[in-house]
Formats: sequence, structure tokens, C-alpha cells
Amino acid sequence: MNDAAIQVDHLTKRYSAGFRRPPVQALTDISLDVKKNEIFGLLGPNGAGKTTLIKILLGSLLPTSGAASINGFGGADWRSRLSAGYLPENHRFPPYLTGRQMLFCFGGMAGLSSTVIRGKADALFDLVGLHQWQNTKIRKYSKGMMQRLGLAQALLNDPQLIFLDEPTDGVDPVGRHEIRTILLNLKKEGKTIFLNSHLLAEVEAVCDRVAILNKGRLVKVGPVSGLLDVKPAYRLETAEMPPVVGEETTTAFPTAKIEGTVITVTLETPGQVNEIIDLLRRRGVDLVSVAPVKVSLEESFLELIQGDGSHE
Amino acid sequence: MNKFAAILYDSFLEIKDRKIFYFYWLVAGVLIIVFGLLPSLNINGRDILEGNLLSPEVLNGFIARFFDGFLGFVIFLLVFGSAGLAPSFLSKGRVELVLSKPIDRWRLLSMKFLAVYLVKAAVLAVMATAIWLTLSLRLGMFNWGFFPGLLFACLQLLVVYAIVFFFGVLTNSAASAIMGYFVIRIGTDLLASRKVVYPLLGEKSLWKTILDGVYHVSPKIGEMSENIGPIMTGKGMADFYPVWSTVLIAVVVFLVTLLYFNRKDY
Ligand SMILES: Nc1ncnc2c1ncn2[C@@H]1O[C@H](COP(=O)(O)OP(=O)(O)OP(=O)(O)O)[C@@H](O)[C@H]1O
Ligand SMILES: [Mg+2]
Repeated sequence: MNDAAIQVDHLTKRYSAGFRRPPVQALTDISLDVKKNEIFGLLGPNGAGKTTLIKILLGSLLPTSGAASINGFGGADWRSRLSAGYLPENHRFPPYLTGRQMLFCFGGMAGLSSTVIRGKADALFDLVGLHQWQNTKIRKYSKGMMQRLGLAQALLNDPQLIFLDEPTDGVDPVGRHEIRTILLNLKKEGKTIFLNSHLLAEVEAVCDRVAILNKGRLVKVGPVSGLLDVKPAYRLETAEMPPVVGEETTTAFPTAKIEGTVITVTLETPGQVNEIIDLLRRRGVDLVSVAPVKVSLEESFLELIQGDGSHE
Repeated sequence: MNKFAAILYDSFLEIKDRKIFYFYWLVAGVLIIVFGLLPSLNINGRDILEGNLLSPEVLNGFIARFFDGFLGFVIFLLVFGSAGLAPSFLSKGRVELVLSKPIDRWRLLSMKFLAVYLVKAAVLAVMATAIWLTLSLRLGMFNWGFFPGLLFACLQLLVVYAIVFFFGVLTNSAASAIMGYFVIRIGTDLLASRKVVYPLLGEKSLWKTILDGVYHVSPKIGEMSENIGPIMTGKGMADFYPVWSTVLIAVVVFLVTLLYFNRKDY
């Protein structure tokens, strides 16, 4: 056995959209690996195909072509799900069950005996903060409470591999923070986590590696830090800006924008800022301040996604 | 075993949550009260009211006819009560989680079918037995033919539920499952009396062949149920053909359901 918990190999998924309508291409030729004990984030805008990928991995959708496997077992093989926990997106848990009954029903279906479930239920309800709600019917739960229950359910069988599809959806800020802590603790216990999200900050905070998916295609895979190569940008404020110098600057640095006495520019390397300063000094322009501009991950993510859409 | 127990537990709780579940017991309760108010007739002790108007044979026939109708009615209620269970098990937001459990798809669906069937058959058995017991105590006469009759009704329920289940899995809708079942049920009742229209078809035997063919491959539920009365009165099954052919067809329908489910995207 190698150290890959999840392997996806040239996976393509087309949904048939019904009679006489063209099929929807949800995933196109996706290949990726998730290593054991890694928190892997799948990031992408709405409709990118994140949920589709998870559903194929867990066997509720069949791939059109290519393969996806967990611990070497394909989605059609029930053994692939022996040690998996799953929190689906848009879940609708049986409203007629209480939170506690839900753990017994779904834990039982995972093969756990009621003795084992009884032994774990209390600690799990404490963990997700639902202790006083466990004997209430799910139909009375709020969205965030259902999400917490779903998380408890996903952790019940002590899975090695946990799939979470938008786990913080509908959860309040405190809950989000708690979930983040739970995920990091799970990683310490040696679990592998596959996290779907469209929230960049969430992925950034917990994931080791991230894949960016857009319109069914894999745009990028890599460690969070180097994923979005943020180019250095600067803001230079001058005492006075003669138009001639301005023109010369924009010719030399096409990304430069001049508004009154302020120049903003995006550069290939941080060192290039000295070239601009030299140019301005040669023309006798006095500098009031030079400061780096922080381009947020959010902005460069948007740029990456939009850039990807244009060359289709 | 844990897996089946969990599915059974879940199915029971879901059935219990539906209003129709209380309606079953209301029907049973009313009948028990009505029969409980009957004058006590000690038939086997020959203490019959006013001469020989009621012989044990006549009463036996009455009991058989009553249960014939009653069991058919309860099966009809159970169709309504169970049509929505497969669609809700396979509904969006729930099916993903169910399918993520380490169970083969065909095994999962078989367990769900069996779980719902067992709960419904138990309801049928408890209701019918309670009523039979009340009636027998009042009449002072125990018709033991009731139990083979009940067993046969359970077989009938199995066949009926296989068809309802098929439409439920296929359409994912309770209403469509009920409609599908009744279309089949009414269609086959018409087919059973197809000989009535034979004179109208003239010499063209092709139509007769087609009608006969369709009749033979369709589940003959109405005809099958006509056996309940004779079994209770100890006469045995009137006609074996509708019974075994319907059971066989139900098995095929169930296998088709499994095949379909195995390849479906959820
Ligand atoms: N059952 C279905 N039938 C047809 N098309 C579908 C089906 N499910 C999803 N799709 C389409 O497949 C594409 C990918 O959907 P998917 O749910 O995987 O996106 P997602 O990345 O999870 O989006 P979100 O962030 O909104 O959850 C979308 O274009 C969607 O319309
Ligand atoms: Mg999604």
C-alpha cells in the first residue's frame, strides 16, 4: 500500500440533463492524490464540481470515465467506505428521529453495535455542543444544529478518512471556530480530511494542500502558501508629478497607474521597485512615501478563476 | 446484523411517525369494540341462540368472508402507508449519507425492503389476530384456519409491496408509487376477465394471444387474494396458478429494482 488515501485518475463526470438536452459536464479529466494524514481542501466557486467529486468518491454517483478510489477500493466497492465519515452538503436528516436516534441509526448502518454507539454518543454531543438537544426531534433543529449533528455523525465510527462538504455552512462564527479546532485536532490524531469549500479563508486556515476547481477543471493543486502566487505591488506617493515623467513611467512599467501624485504598480519581483525609484529620482521627482500594497488571497483567487474562464 | 437492525429501527420509527400508523390501530380498535359488544354465543358448547339458525359452518363462512375483506382492506391501507418509505429513504439529502455507509447497494436496498415489509406485516398480524381473538371469544368458537389465511395474506402483502417498492425506487415519489401500483392492480383485474371480450374480437386470434400473454406475465393480485377465504374455511387454495406465477413475477420485479438501483446516480 502506498501513502495515498484518495486517488483520482482522469475522472470525468457528465450528468444527463434529461430528454433532448445536452448533458452537463460537471468534471473534466481530474487527477489528484490525497496523502494520508493530510487536510486537503477542494476550493472553487458554486457549480465547480466539488460536491460531484465527493459523491463519486463515496459511491453515490458513478463516474462517466476515469477512476476514483479510497485506500485502493473504487467507489462501487463497499469496502472503500469502511473507514469513511461523511458530512454531506444540503443534508436532510430524517426529521422523525431525535439527534441521539440518528446516531444509532446511521452508526448502526456503518456497522457499529449499539453498545459502542452508546459509549461514544455523549462525548460527541459534547464535542459539537448539542448536549441538551440530543433527545429533541431533528425537525425542531436549526440549520446550524443540523450541521453540528451531521459532524457528530461523521465522526461516530472513528473514521480514518473524513469527507466534509461545506462543513461551516449555516454555522455561526463561534461554531466555525469550534469546527476549525475540531479539524485540527483530528489531524493530530492522524486522520485524513477532505474538505470542500468555497470559503478561501476557511481553507487557508486549516488545509495543508488545496486544489482549485473551476467549471469542472482542475486549475491548480499545491500547498496553501504557494498556491496563489501573489505578485508584489507598491504605492508610491510623490510630492509633484509632471505629466512627462508620468508618461515615461507608464511606458517603462505598463502596470503602473497614476492618479494625481500617486503611482500604484504591480511588479514581477520586489527588486523592481528600485528601478521606478531610480527613474523618478533621475527626473528630480521627490518621493513622499513608498509602501507595499497587500493583495489579498481573495483577489488573486478571483483573478485565477476569471483568468481560467477566459481561455476556454 | 447491526446494519439490518439499524435499518429496521429507522424504518419502524419512520412508520410510527406517520399519521396513518394511528389510523390502523383506530380501525382495529373500533372493530374490537364492535365485536366485543356481540352477544356471547357458545357454539361448540351447543348453546346457540334461538334454535339452529346459526350453524358452525355458516358462522365459519361468515368469519372467513369477514377476514377476506378485512385483510384486503388492511393491505390496501398498508400500500398507502408504505409507498412513501422507499422514496424518503432515497430522497436528496439523505440518500448520499445512506450510500456512504459500507454496505453494497443491492444489500442496502434489500435490507430496506425487508425492514419495511417486516414492520408492515407485523402490524397486519397483530391487528388481525387481536380482532380474530375477540371474535372467537365472543362466538365461543375458534377457527384455526385463520392462521394459514393470515400467513397467505402476509405473502400477498410481500408481493404487493414488491410492486409498490419498484415504483417507489423508480420514480422517487410516493404518489407515483401508489398510482403505478393501482394501474397494475386494476389492469390485471381487467385482464383476468379478458375472456368476456373474446367474442367481440372475432376470429382474429392475434389479439387473444397478446391479451393472454400480457395476462400471464402480469402479477395477478386480485385473483391471488381470492384464496384467503377458501384457505380460512379449510377448503385450501382454489387455484394455484395465480399464486405461484404472481410470486415469481414479484421476485423478477424485485431483481429489476435492484439492478436499476445499482446503476443509478444519486
Ligand atoms: N443531479 C444533477 N443533474 C444534472 N446536473 C447536475 C446535477 N448535480 C449537479 N449538477 C451540475 O454539475 C455541476 C457541478 O455541481 P456541484 O454540485 O458538484 O458543484 P459544487 O462545486 O459543489 O457547487 P457548490 O459550491 O454550489 O456546492 C453544476 O453545473 C451543476 O449544475
Ligand atoms: Mg457543493
